Amino acid sequence: MLNRRLAMLASGVALAALSALGSAQAQEKTEIRVIVAHYSDQTMGIFGGMEADFEAAHPDVDIKLEDVSWDNLQQRLTTDIAGGTPPDIAIIGTRWLLDYAANDIAEPLDDYMTPEFKAKFIEAFLEPSVIDGVTYGLPVAASARAMYYNKDLLKKAGIAEPPATWDELVAAATAVKEKGEGAYGFGMQGKEIETDIYWYYALWAHGGELVQDGKSGIASEAGVKAANLYKSLIDQGLTQPSPTGSNRQDMESLFKQGRAAMVLSGPWLRGQIKTEAPDLNYGLAAIPKGTVQATYGVTDTIMIFKDSENKEVAWQFLEEAAFSDKNRIAFSEKEGFLPVMKAEAAAPEFADDEELKAFTGMLPYAKFAPLIPNWEAASDTASAALQQIYQGQAEPEAALTEAAAKIDELIQQ
Amino acid sequence: MLDRTRTLPALLLILPSLALSLWIIGYPIYDVVYTSLHEVNRFGRVRDFAGLANFAKLFADPIFFASLWRTVLWTVTVVGGAILLSVPIAVMLNEDFYGRGIARVIVMLPWAISLAMTAIVWRWSLNGQYGMINATLFQLGILDGPVEWLASFDTAFPIEIAIGILVSIPFTATVLLGGLSSIPADVYEAATIDGATGWQRFRWMTLPLMKPFLQIAIVLNVINVFNSFPIIWVLTQGEPANSTDILVTYLYKLAFRYGRLDTAAAMSLIMFAILLVFTAAYIVLARRSEEKGA
Repeated sequence: MLNRRLAMLASGVALAALSALGSAQAQEKTEIRVIVAHYSDQTMGIFGGMEADFEAAHPDVDIKLEDVSWDNLQQRLTTDIAGGTPPDIAIIGTRWLLDYAANDIAEPLDDYMTPEFKAKFIEAFLEPSVIDGVTYGLPVAASARAMYYNKDLLKKAGIAEPPATWDELVAAATAVKEKGEGAYGFGMQGKEIETDIYWYYALWAHGGELVQDGKSGIASEAGVKAANLYKSLIDQGLTQPSPTGSNRQDMESLFKQGRAAMVLSGPWLRGQIKTEAPDLNYGLAAIPKGTVQATYGVTDTIMIFKDSENKEVAWQFLEEAAFSDKNRIAFSEKEGFLPVMKAEAAAPEFADDEELKAFTGMLPYAKFAPLIPNWEAASDTASAALQQIYQGQAEPEAALTEAAAKIDELIQQ
Repeated sequence: MLDRTRTLPALLLILPSLALSLWIIGYPIYDVVYTSLHEVNRFGRVRDFAGLANFAKLFADPIFFASLWRTVLWTVTVVGGAILLSVPIAVMLNEDFYGRGIARVIVMLPWAISLAMTAIVWRWSLNGQYGMINATLFQLGILDGPVEWLASFDTAFPIEIAIGILVSIPFTATVLLGGLSSIPADVYEAATIDGATGWQRFRWMTLPLMKPFLQIAIVLNVINVFNSFPIIWVLTQGEPANSTDILVTYLYKLAFRYGRLDTAAAMSLIMFAILLVFTAAYIVLARRSEEKGA
C-alpha cells in the first residue's frame, strides 16, 4: 500500500517536472491561443494565412488556432472561462459581448487602438462592440439583409420592378399567387433561430425600435402593424402554408427551388444559389420600406481576454495580421461577408460587385441587435409570441403586449 | 463466526470503490444543489447566496408548468404505447415460427441507430414541402396541398409521441421477451388440456407471470422517456411557442441558450426529485418481485 502511494507520488513529481519543463520551453516562444469560429470550410485556411504572416514577422510568437463550430462556440468559451483557462483571442457573436464585458472577461481595446487604425474601419461596424463608450472588440464579420426576388416569377405575374414598399410587396405577392402557377408570393420564416428577426424587418420599416428607453418596443404601434401585416399575408395565402413549420433553411429552399417569389435573407444565400441553383434568375433589392427604410445588420466580434498574459502580442496579431488589408479582403470575399474596413470596400472584389450593392447600400439604415442583458431569452419570447400570432392562437396586440412585459422583466434583470 | 471475521476485511476492501461511487454520484448532486441556491452567471461564476429564489422564479414561470404537464403527457403516452405494442410483439416473437431469428433482429434493429439520427430522418420525411410523407400522401390522392406536420402542437406532438413509442419498442420488447421465455411451456400444456382458450391463457397466465417484467419495463422506460431529449429537440425544439417543450428541452434552453445556470440547476433538482420517486418505486417493485420469485 505504502509502496504504491510512493510510486504514485513519484510519478506525480515526474509529471509536475515534465509540465514545468514544457512551460519552460513555451516561454521561449510566446503562445497566443486564438479560437476561430467556423464560418465555412475555408475559415481555417484564411486564418492560417494570418498566422503565417504574423509568425514570419515575429519568430518568437507561436499562434495557436482552434477551430470551433458556431453551435458549440458559446458553450466552449463559457466552459473555458469557468475553468480558468480562457484563450487569448476569440471570435464571438457581438450579442454575447455585453455578458463578457459585464463579467470583466473582455479587455477594453481603446488604449491599444491608434486613431489611424480606428479610422480604417467603417464606423457603423465598430459601434456594435462599444458598450458605455468602451470598445471591447473589433468587427470580424459583418452582414446586412436584403430582399431576394425571383425575376421570372415576378415577370410572369406582370410585375416589372421589385417592390420597394410593403404595400407593393403585398400587391406583387397577390399577383404571383394568381398567375404564378402554384408559387408562393412571399417566403415566411416561422420556426427556430431568427424567427423574430424575420419580423423585425417589418417592425423597423414601420418605424419601430426593439428597445425604447430601456423597454421592449415590440408591442408599439409599429409592432402591431407589422404583426397584422404578416398575419394577413399568411391568411390571404400569400406565403407558404403554415409558416411555423419553416425555419430559415426551409424558407430559403423555397426560393432556391423557384417556388417563392420574394424572401428576405443575407449574403450567404448568394453563395448557396451559385452552387445549388445556378440557373435561378434572381435579383437583389432593398428590404421593402414602410414609413422608413431599414435592414438588420449583424457583426461578429473578435476580442481579447482580460486574463490573457500576452495582451500586447495578441493585439499586435489583430492589428498586423488579422486586420491587414490583404487578409481582410481574403476573409470577406471568401466567406461572403460585407467589407468592414474602408480598404476592403474600395477593393475591386467588392467595389465591382453589383449585387453586393443591395447589401452595402442598406448599411446606412442597418439596425443592430441591441446590447441588452438576456437577449437570447428576449428573442425567444418574441418568437413564441409571433408563432402564436401566425397560428391564429392569439391576437397580435394582446400577444405582443404580453411578450413585451416579459421582455421588460428580462432587460431589468 | 466465519461471517463476522470476514465482514470487516470485506467492508474495508469495498470501501474505496464505495467512496468512489459516493463521490461520483454525490458530488454532482452537491454541486447542483449548491448552484440552485446561489446566483450563478453564464460563466459559472457564483455570486450571492440566493436562497430559494431560483425555485421561486421557476414556480412563477408558466412555461415551466406547461412543460411539466406536457412531460407527464409525453411520458405516460410514450411508455403506455410502447408497453401496449410490445406485449403482442413479444408474445409473437416468443412463438416458434419460421424466420423468428430474422424477425427478432428486425424488431431490435432500430435500437442500433442513434436517437438523434432517427429524429433527423423523421424531420426530413415530415417536411411539408419536400418530405416523403407528404409526397406519398399526395400521390395517393389523400392530400391536395402540403401539410406542415411540425407547424402546430396538434400534429407535431402526437407525431413526436408516435416516434417515441417506435424507438422504445425494441428495449421494451426485449425485456418482455426475456420474461416470456422464462415461463415454462408445461404450464400452458396443462392449461390447454384443461380447456383454456388462447385468450384465457394470455389473460390469466401470461400476464400475471409477466407482471414483474412489465413493472420493470414500465419503470425503466419512464426514467428513460422522461429525460428523452433528441426526438423533440430535433423535430421542433419545443416550438411553436413552447407548445411542444417538455422539461428537459426547456432545461436545455435555460442553461445553454439563456445562460441561467442557477434556475436550470433548480429545475434539474425538481426533475431529479420526480425521478427519485420512480426509482424508489422501481426498487420496491424489484424487491417485491424478487421475494415472490424466492
